[in-house]
Amino acid sequence: MGVMTLIYRGILALVIFLVVRCCFREKDFWKQTTAAVVVIPMLLRLFMIK
Amino acid sequence: MDWFWPEGFYAVLMLAAFAVGVFKLKLPVAIAMCGSAVIGALSAGFGLHPARLVGQLVEGMFGYIDTILIIATAMIFMNVVQSIGLMESVAAWIIRRFRKSPFMLSCGVMFLIMLPGMLTGSSTACCLTTGALVAPVLIKLGVPGKKTAAFIAMGAVLGMIAPPINIPVMIIGGGIDMPYVGFTLPLLIATVPLALLVIALLALPSLKKKGAVDEAELETELKRMESVPLTARLFLPFVVLIVLMVGEQTLGMPLQFLVSSASAFLTGRRWNVLESATNAVKDAIPVLGILMGVGMFVQIMTLSGVRGFIVVSALAIPSWLLYLSIATTIPAFGAISSFGAASVLGVPFILALLSRDQIITASGLALIAGLGDLVPPTALAGIFAAQVAGEKNYFAVLRHCAVPSIAIAVWGIALIALANPLSSILR
Amino acid sequence: MDLNFKGNKTTACLLLGAALVICAISGREFMANAGFDDLVPAAGFERKMLSDYFDGLRGSRMDTPVFVQNGAKSGGSVLILGGTHPNEPSGYVSATLFLENARVVKGRLFVIPFANASGFTNTLPQEASPSRIHITRSDGSARSFRYGSRDTSPIDMWPTPDIYIHKSSGQELAGNESKNLNRAYPGDPNGTPVERLAYGIMELLRGEKITLAFDLHEASPEYPVVEAIVAHERSMELAAATAMELIGQEIDMRLEPSPKNLHGLSHREWGDYTDTLPILMETANPSQGRLRGRTDETLALTGLDKAYAKAAALGRLFVPYGPDGKPLSQRVARHVASISAFLEMLSLFDEENGVTVENVPGYEDIIQKGVGSYLGGIGRSN
Repeated sequence: MGVMTLIYRGILALVIFLVVRCCFREKDFWKQTTAAVVVIPMLLRLFMIK
Repeated sequence: MDWFWPEGFYAVLMLAAFAVGVFKLKLPVAIAMCGSAVIGALSAGFGLHPARLVGQLVEGMFGYIDTILIIATAMIFMNVVQSIGLMESVAAWIIRRFRKSPFMLSCGVMFLIMLPGMLTGSSTACCLTTGALVAPVLIKLGVPGKKTAAFIAMGAVLGMIAPPINIPVMIIGGGIDMPYVGFTLPLLIATVPLALLVIALLALPSLKKKGAVDEAELETELKRMESVPLTARLFLPFVVLIVLMVGEQTLGMPLQFLVSSASAFLTGRRWNVLESATNAVKDAIPVLGILMGVGMFVQIMTLSGVRGFIVVSALAIPSWLLYLSIATTIPAFGAISSFGAASVLGVPFILALLSRDQIITASGLALIAGLGDLVPPTALAGIFAAQVAGEKNYFAVLRHCAVPSIAIAVWGIALIALANPLSSILR
Repeated sequence: MDLNFKGNKTTACLLLGAALVICAISGREFMANAGFDDLVPAAGFERKMLSDYFDGLRGSRMDTPVFVQNGAKSGGSVLILGGTHPNEPSGYVSATLFLENARVVKGRLFVIPFANASGFTNTLPQEASPSRIHITRSDGSARSFRYGSRDTSPIDMWPTPDIYIHKSSGQELAGNESKNLNRAYPGDPNGTPVERLAYGIMELLRGEKITLAFDLHEASPEYPVVEAIVAHERSMELAAATAMELIGQEIDMRLEPSPKNLHGLSHREWGDYTDTLPILMETANPSQGRLRGRTDETLALTGLDKAYAKAAALGRLFVPYGPDGKPLSQRVARHVASISAFLEMLSLFDEENGVTVENVPGYEDIIQKGVGSYLGGIGRSN
């Protein structure tokens, strides 16, 4: 696997971490839902499933 | 009727479900789009294989996986340059330097508002970063709140269209195998004259009035904004970003933004990495969510045949009506999402206009697609601009956007109509 | 009605948990197309791997089976490459049909049914492609093939550059073309996965001294180069003779010269970098077009679509489009009949390097009996 792929997976991990952090801090249920939706494709790409 | 049924019905149903979600149930746009995609898929009979349907919906989101990384990292970058005090310092400098010249002042402020959108391709970035920064200043300089919000909203839309980053063009180009190369000049032609028009309509008349400003209060505000001295070193993150964008294109934008953000450690006010980055992502999540919603929506439109229905219906429009339909349907679809409009309608329209210079035509279409961010209910630019200017009712703000918006549509159509003569001049 | 709920840490956990469940369900769907589809090679075919020609592919997801059959008489050699674009089924089904029927009398026949193995494991976002197609055989059983994407899977190539610069020419294309096998030739042994794949195919062409090579494709009915033969200048004479021969069989084929300034494509670089005579052929596939309506397996198999019918009435298509649509059997029949005609012409033009293949069905046979009648049985129905 190329270096660039690893770096970009690192960027994904960072953004996922931040989105999850926001999800836990958020007080509005639907905004939490939005955050959870955004996590889905990023997780699948992070683990190189899709 | 044969043509309309059932795809036209699915289209109406999906739009209705979206409208109910946003207006009646007051759901966020992203969630309403997900919901309407699911309803569209179920009504078209794709609920029989639930796992397959989930796969389809998730696959749709992947259309924007690279875009969400660009937006998230760009928002982090904008938040960082704000945290180190650069943006406030620049704004204060512009106001002091050009106070005597309202025209130059409003040009400087307009550029500041547009800058985040130029870099991130997102109008939301403009409103929430530099828009938030200049809003109180504009109000103190005598521009009424609603006009301030309208000025920021229009600047945000023009910023997202202006180069170097224009996501609608990238979406349209992706649909016809056109590289994102050679767009800088056409996109400047598309945006700069309109920016001047917005300045003349919304900012200049109020800024020219003498004596309306409380000098003491303004001075206090400027002093606060200047707390970090404006030095050449303070510009380091921007310098790094520009060097990377020009020189090291292999890195890709997300990495460029993160490296430039990291360079901010070397200059300016101290800042908290984790908090800045989290706040940036918090501001970005609604936009990221909308992109995910659009992704699902487009996937289900393709799956159920609604996309083909819309595309071929658009191609069936007689050519003399084509311009009118471009100027109306793209912003109307932009009510759902300007990115979605670029994908669903921008691509077929450019296919219908294949005889014209593709770069200028795509620029014109992207400009019109940008208008979508001013069309309710989503009206991202209007909503966020109203928010930062402290206006409760964003419809009152949008009223001030009406004339410049029509100008955008007319200018966009003019670019498309004159694409070939323009391109021979530019070459 | 107002659905404003308060959120807290518990709801965050529940929502993120739900996101994980959705990841698991969709992940299973996405991973279902790993591996290769079953094949039933005709007697005499030997199975190799492309990595036997270029070791840099060994053990990677880009490696793909190569089948070869030698005739009793010596002659030239022919390569049939299917699956360059795994969303163009007539290409890989036609290659499979040759693999499962051909009896080589003279010369050697090479078949690569799934050229871009990685692309077969992936479908493109927002295209809503079916993940499989099922072709019914004459005994009622079905053969199933994956329907993939034009691009190499992002699992093998990600991130994508903003702009793809073709190495040997410096040509600039949209970034996603960097994942397209048919923009990657002549390839690079140390390059990206798809550049290495392209290099492996070039190594096969050179190492086996392939006389004539086919790259089988499909295109959208609204795309100008469709139902066409694209030929390198060295193969143009052969292609012109073949097109004439096909007119005799009432098969209309456009003849297009390979543009000299469009780089990375098989019909250009195979001809420029090897001694092969390159031929690329396109049939019309509505299920990959931009104007298509409801997108599903049926559309891929029948090509029947009311959006295309309306577009045809508006004069937007480059192929005739009748009430029968564009069925897969007809698309495969075009490819197969064209290849057979090319082999005949090759023997006429260059007897020494001719290749003779028997037991290949004709155009009318495939259309009337259906392509499934010429595919072998798998498993119990065998």
